[in-house]
Parts: sequence; C-alpha cells; structure tokens
Amino acid sequence: MRALRRDLSIYLSIFGMTPKVFMAYQLWFWIGLVLNTIGMAILVFFWRAVYADTDSVAALSLQQTLTYILLAQIFFPLTDVDLIFDFGFNLREGNIIHFLLRPINFQGMYYVQNLSSLMMRLILQIPIAVVATLLFGLQWPTDPATWGAFAVSALLGFTALFFFHWFLACLTFYTTEVWGLGVLIFGMSLFLSGSLVPLTMMPGWLQTVVLSIPFAQAIAVPVSLLTGITPLIQAPLVWLTQLAWVTGMWLVSALFFRVAVRKVTVQGG
Amino acid sequence: MTRYLSLYWLFLTQRLKVLMEYRANFIIGALSTIALQASSILAIWVVMRQVPDLNGWTYDEILLVYGLITLAKSINHMFADNLWTLGRQYIRSGGFDRFLVRPIDPLFHLLADRFCQDGVGNFLVGVALVVKASVALGIQWTLLKALMLVAAVVSGGGIFIALNLLTCVTSFWIVDSVPVTRLVFDNHLFAQYPLTIYPKAINILLTWIVPYGLASFYPASYLLDRSLGNLAWAAPVAAALLLFLGYRFWQFGLKHYGSTGT
Amino acid sequence: MSVIEVENLTKVFKIPQKDPGLGGAIKGLFAPRFQSKTAVDRINFRLDRGEIVGYIGVNGAGKSTTIKMLTGVLMPTGGSIRVLGRDPHRQRIDNAREIGVVFGQRTQLWWDLALIESLNLIARMYDVPPARYKQMLDEFSQTLDLGSLLKVPVRNMSLGQKMRSELAAALIHEPKVVYLDEPTIGLDLIVKERIRDFIKAECGSKGMTVMLTTHDLGDIEQLCRRVIIIDEGRVIYDGPIETIKKKFGKFREITFETTGLVPSLSLPPGCELLSTGDRKVTLRFDRIQTTASQVASAVMKQIEVRDFSLSEPDLANIVKQIYNGALDNGGVEPEAADARPAP
Ligand SMILES: Nc1ncnc2c1ncn2[C@@H]1O[C@H](COP(=O)(O)OP(=O)(O)OP(=O)(O)O)[C@@H](O)[C@H]1O
Ligand SMILES: [Mg+2]
Repeated sequence: MRALRRDLSIYLSIFGMTPKVFMAYQLWFWIGLVLNTIGMAILVFFWRAVYADTDSVAALSLQQTLTYILLAQIFFPLTDVDLIFDFGFNLREGNIIHFLLRPINFQGMYYVQNLSSLMMRLILQIPIAVVATLLFGLQWPTDPATWGAFAVSALLGFTALFFFHWFLACLTFYTTEVWGLGVLIFGMSLFLSGSLVPLTMMPGWLQTVVLSIPFAQAIAVPVSLLTGITPLIQAPLVWLTQLAWVTGMWLVSALFFRVAVRKVTVQGG
Repeated sequence: MTRYLSLYWLFLTQRLKVLMEYRANFIIGALSTIALQASSILAIWVVMRQVPDLNGWTYDEILLVYGLITLAKSINHMFADNLWTLGRQYIRSGGFDRFLVRPIDPLFHLLADRFCQDGVGNFLVGVALVVKASVALGIQWTLLKALMLVAAVVSGGGIFIALNLLTCVTSFWIVDSVPVTRLVFDNHLFAQYPLTIYPKAINILLTWIVPYGLASFYPASYLLDRSLGNLAWAAPVAAALLLFLGYRFWQFGLKHYGSTGT
Repeated sequence: MSVIEVENLTKVFKIPQKDPGLGGAIKGLFAPRFQSKTAVDRINFRLDRGEIVGYIGVNGAGKSTTIKMLTGVLMPTGGSIRVLGRDPHRQRIDNAREIGVVFGQRTQLWWDLALIESLNLIARMYDVPPARYKQMLDEFSQTLDLGSLLKVPVRNMSLGQKMRSELAAALIHEPKVVYLDEPTIGLDLIVKERIRDFIKAECGSKGMTVMLTTHDLGDIEQLCRRVIIIDEGRVIYDGPIETIKKKFGKFREITFETTGLVPSLSLPPGCELLSTGDRKVTLRFDRIQTTASQVASAVMKQIEVRDFSLSEPDLANIVKQIYNGALDNGGVEPEAADARPAP
C-alpha cells in the first residue's frame, strides 16, 4: 500500500512536469496554430469541392463530413505518443541505463507521462477548436451522453495505441535511426486512424484493414461515436472491442519489450 | 565548379557508405516518406471513387498535380534537407565553425554534408504518380511539354530550396528556426491539389508570394492544355529570383554570425 | 616578415537581453536591448615563422575568441589581423587553405565515417595532391599510430584516439599556420605526452607557426619558448616561458606519503621542510638549486615512501601574482611592455 502511494506520488510529479516543458515552447504553440489552420483549410476546401455537385457521399452530408473531419483534427493528439523518439533518444545517449535502474515500473511511468502530455495537448488544441468553429463552421455535438461515450472510447483507444506504440518503439532497440521510423508510423497513422476520410466512405475491404490496425481505435472509433455516425446504442459494444484491443496490445508489447531489452547496447562512452 | 561537383560526388559516396552501414535505416527512411504520401493518396482515391471530379479535375489529373509537387519537394528533400538542421545541429553546437575554417563555400559544405535518403522515397512516389497520370490521361508528349516537365521539377525544387533557405537563415539570429521554416514550408500542402478549389486569396498566395503553385498546379495545367497553363513558364524565373534572394540573405546571415558567433 | 600580426585586436560581444515570454520575444525582435561584453581588448602581438607560442589564461579570458578571429570565423570589432599578409575574415577561404585548426572541444570529423574516409574528404577539400596525401597518411600512421584506427568510425573512438585523429585531420594539408585550442583537454598523461611529442616533431620539422591554448602548463613548458598570458581580454604578459618559470616555478612542493612515522630527515640543499603530519611530509624545493628526483631519492633513502605528489604552479595563482606586481621589478620583457594597452 505504501509502495503504491509512493509510486502514485512519483507518477503525479511526472504528470506535473510535462506542462512546464510545454510552456517552454511558446513560439511553437502559435506557429502550430497557424500550421493547423493551414491543414484544416486544405481539408475544408477539398471537401467543399467534393460536395460541389452532390448532397451526399456515402450517406454523409457535407456538414456531417466536415464535423467528422474537423473533430478528428482537433482530437488528433489522441494518436500522439512520443515513445519512439524517446526510446531512440535515450538509447542513443545511453540514458536507457538510468531508466532501467530506476525502482519504478518503466511502462507505467511512460503511460502516465503520455497521458499527461495528452491532456496538455488537448488543452492546447482549444485555440484550434476555436478556429475550426469560427472560420470553418464546425458544429459541436451537444448531447452529453455522446460526449461521455466518446470520452470513454477515446481513453480506451489512446491506451490501446499507447501499447501499440510501445511495441513499435521496441523496434528502436534494433534500428539506430529513429526519425524514419517515427515518420513512417506517423504517415501510416494519418490514414489508418481515419482522420482524413470517414471510414464509411471506404470500400468494405479497406474498412476491414483499417479496423484491424490499432490506429483507428484512437480517432475513427471515438469520433464516429461523437458525431453520431456510430449510433450511441452501440457504445457498450464499441467499448468492449476496445478493451479487447487494450488487453491484447498490452500483452504483446510487454512481451516484445522483454525480448528487446536484451538487445540493449549502450552507445557512446 | 567542377571542383565543387567532384567534391559533392565525394561527399555523396561517403554518405551512401554510411547509409549502407545502416541499411535498415535507409529503407525505413525511404519507406517513411512513401507511407506519408500513401496516406494522402489513399485518401484522395477513396474520395474520388465517390465523385466524378473535383472542380472539373479528375482523379488522374489530381494525381498529376500531386505528383509534380512531390517531385519538386523531393529535390529539396534529397539535396537541401540539412538546411532544417542549421540552427539545431550546427550553430547551436558551435559545429558551424568547422565550415568556416575550410577552404570551400560554407553553404555548399552545409548542403553537401548530408544527402537525405528520405527524399528518395518522395522522388519515387512523384515519378510513379506522374507516369501513372500521364498514361491514364494519355498526355501527348511534345518537346515543349517534356521541357516543361523538367523545368517544373527543377525550378520547383529551386523554389522549395530557396524558401527554406530564406527561412532557415534566421537561425543565425534566433536559436531555433524550424518553426519559422515550417510556417512557410507547410503552404506547399495547398499545392497538392488544383488551386481552383481554393478562394482567390489562397491562389494569390500560392502563385505570387510562396509560389509553390508554380511547381504543381500551373505546369499540370500546361501539360493538360488547360487555361492558366502558360503561367508555368514563370517558374524558372521565380526560382532564380528566390534563390538569388536566398543566397544574399544567407551571406547577410553569415556576416552577422561573423560578428556575434554563438 | 611576421606570419601573424595582430594590432589592437578587439572583440565586443553584444549579448541581447531577453524578456521572458512571447511578448518579450517580440519586443526583442523590434527593439533589442544589448549588454556589451569585451572579450578581447586591444591586444597586440606578432608571431614569426616556426614559432610555437602558448596562449594562456583562465576560463573566459578570451583565448578561444582570439583564435576564432585569427581563423576568420569571427570578425573583429576593432584592430587588425594579418595572417601571411591576409585578412583572415575578408579573405576567409584563401586563408583557410593555409591554416590548420583543432578545436579541442568539438570534432571536425564526420561522426559516422571511418577516419580514412574523413581524411579523404578533407584532403580533397584542401586539394592535397594524391601522392603527397599518401605520403602524409603513411607518416601519420607512424607518428600518430593511426594505422589501426583508419577503418574505425569516429563514434567508436576513445577521447585520445579522437584527438590523434583530429590532429591528423588538421595537419594533413601541411598548413603554414596551426591553431590548437585545448588539444589535450581531458586526456591522460601518456596520450598527452604522445600528442606533445607529435606536435613538437611535426610542426618543428616543417617550420609551422603554432598558436596553442591550453590549461595545462605542462603542454606549454614542453612545447613553447614563448607564452602570451591574457586575462579579461588583455595581454598581461608576453615573453619567454623562462621568466615565468623562474618567477613562479622556482619553488615546487612535493608531498610524500610514508608507511611509517616520519623521522627527522636530512634534506639536500635548496630544500626545506614545510610540514609533517601523520605519515605524511611536505617539502618545498628550489628548482634552480636542486631537482625533484634529487629530493625524492634523498627522501626515499631515508624512509619507505608509499606515494608522492608534486604540485604544479597554478595558472590562476600566477595571474593573480602578475596583477600584484610580481613581474614589475625586472621580469617583464620589453615587447610585453609594448603589448600593454595604452591607458
Ligand atoms: N558568441 C558569444 N557571445 C557572447 N559572449 C561570448 C561569445 N563567445 C564568448 N563570449 C564571452 O567572451 C568571453 C571570452 O570567451 P572565450 O571563449 O574566448 O574564453 P576562453 O579564454 O576560451 O575560455 P575557456 O578557457 O573557458 O575556453 C567570455 O566571457 C564569454 O562569455
Ligand atoms: Mg576556450
């Protein structure tokens, strides 16, 4: 019990550190806002052009699609897990030793850290949400029940993705350059998370593929709930599926980590 | 000139040796950019299955636009990617001094120092898209059109490099220039699609201010015999002008560095 | 004609004062406020062909800044520099061909490349004729013992191996002028010794003009006949190392740790007892009258010595003593008097 309290207090202080780090990057914050606005503008004009001659695509209206796309942009931090760069950096600098020596569960520490980063990032998305609302006419869902369903689903999806990223980050024990790996994973997550196109517009086989890779759990699944593309009735089923994902990913990642950690060679002297 | 070319060749072969040593990284690097592009292209494909055209541009025509900007970007990505790291890896650490005690042009040294393999992925994607589009659209290649293709890619690359240079030089004054560079660089994303889908202001921005449009939309229009296509001949002029400005600004930054150091 | 001529060389850094936050950053962009810091203050000296000169001073004295100006990296705020008749900043590239530089704190080699590849690149950059390059490689394989290192990437080298490689990279084109900024930093005694020997042989035999900064007075003693001491950007001494040695290196302290209790010792002339403790004795000797080995052997004949240590005169201490006028009555050479900035 005392051990748990001690662990919790460590986790808490890790949780508290992240915002401070973020604050150091003010310039990035403002520029990030502009970059996001550019990104959203492209999507919005693109979709408006798509709907120029038609009222519905795959049974979705322009407004529904835009709501989905913009919300996916706003909640995109759900896919943001830093593990690969972190692992790679720590491995290269030889810091990995310190982590392995610390008397605390390594994965737990990172999870808390990433959860804290997620909260921070979501808060920092508020200005982007404002831009989406004022500039691009985002219509927010108002039903508290959908928000609740969304919140649970988002947390589960994020957790599943965290473990999946953990699994991928273990690859850095084998390759030395992590930048490419990071970009590769980001590139895949862009489409596979369902943030560019609603899943319902994809042909059936592609939907199957996308749904069998964890990225979609963090964006497409929760945002579909939020926008009503997935009816609220199905929420419990969605959660259960996601829980299965979490469990599976957790097992796989823990296993791989055990194997990979034996590979540690500390570079530099 | 030949001296610099042969030096570049030497740098390049050395770099390739390193890359071969880290073969996995090389492949992952190339794959990473392909994955990034594949995401967007897949999205376009999914959407364009549902509608016949986008403001009068068919799926294959959009791929041509997308392919052209990707090719131009790949030139910058392969040969000038090191500009991004000027502030972080060279100036901040004092490593930039090493360029200044060598008897070659420091900008050349910076660019030659790291050929970026990730750009190869972009290049391949660009080639594939242009070929696919050209075949699907049955473009009738004339000498002028072939010339335009080369001019568009080369000067498009020049535009990318020049704009990156102009923004990266700020790292002589501010610690981290990457945000500033991103601010300009990200505008090229607009040019992945036909500019006609955007409002007028964005068209002006992409044509006259950060002229990425000259690398994709206008040459594509030219190749497809569409209106506005002739504006594509402005690309080499714009590239030359921007490169000139970029190099002058670089020299100015260098002078500033000479008086402040790190 | 002197190889390096420095007149009234001055460097003033303007350090921007930043206010915190974005507002401060923007304000700083439009109305920057600066604080000036004079790192190098009207210094004068000349170096002749073949001279090896030690350039020393405490941390922050302005050594590296001077070297950066001499190499053309930094532009002086005032004064003038001529290196082989050129202005190193204006004619930077021409100047670069003639000089070799080692910045001991950072590498000029490519981290991931095998040493031989880095050297190939550098040789090409400096247009070293291939035949000559081969000769030099053979020579360095001998003198720096690089033979086994040529195929090793720099990232896998130890500090000492790295520094030997750095020296090879800086000298492969046989420059006329060599600047070494802390070339022995962080190295152990044996490697230091080897690097000193190399510098002495290589630069001596080719008549290179060398300017060496270091915090290790041992480097200076072994390599240089002349030293320039700077402090807060000003030259406070320029003259033979002998004067410094005589003034400040006259006495040395030597401490012995013994196995048993210390009996009363009979000491050679020029040596006196400073203190005795429990199994420990400290002596001071005059280096002109006697030597460390004479003292040590005299002591060792009388008692069993477990260990002993010799303390070097320390630079900060010397600087302080110079300020207190240690050199005023006699020691200062005429050129050093010139070098002092006019009041
Ligand atoms: N780029 C710079 N901008 C502002 N101030 C600087 C810069 N470089 C050096 N300085 C300042 O100039 C002074 C001299 O620095 P310099 O690096 O020449 O000292 P040094 O004698 O080489 O010291 P060390 O023995 O520590 O290497 C220091 O006070 C330093 O803080
Ligand atoms: Mg220094």
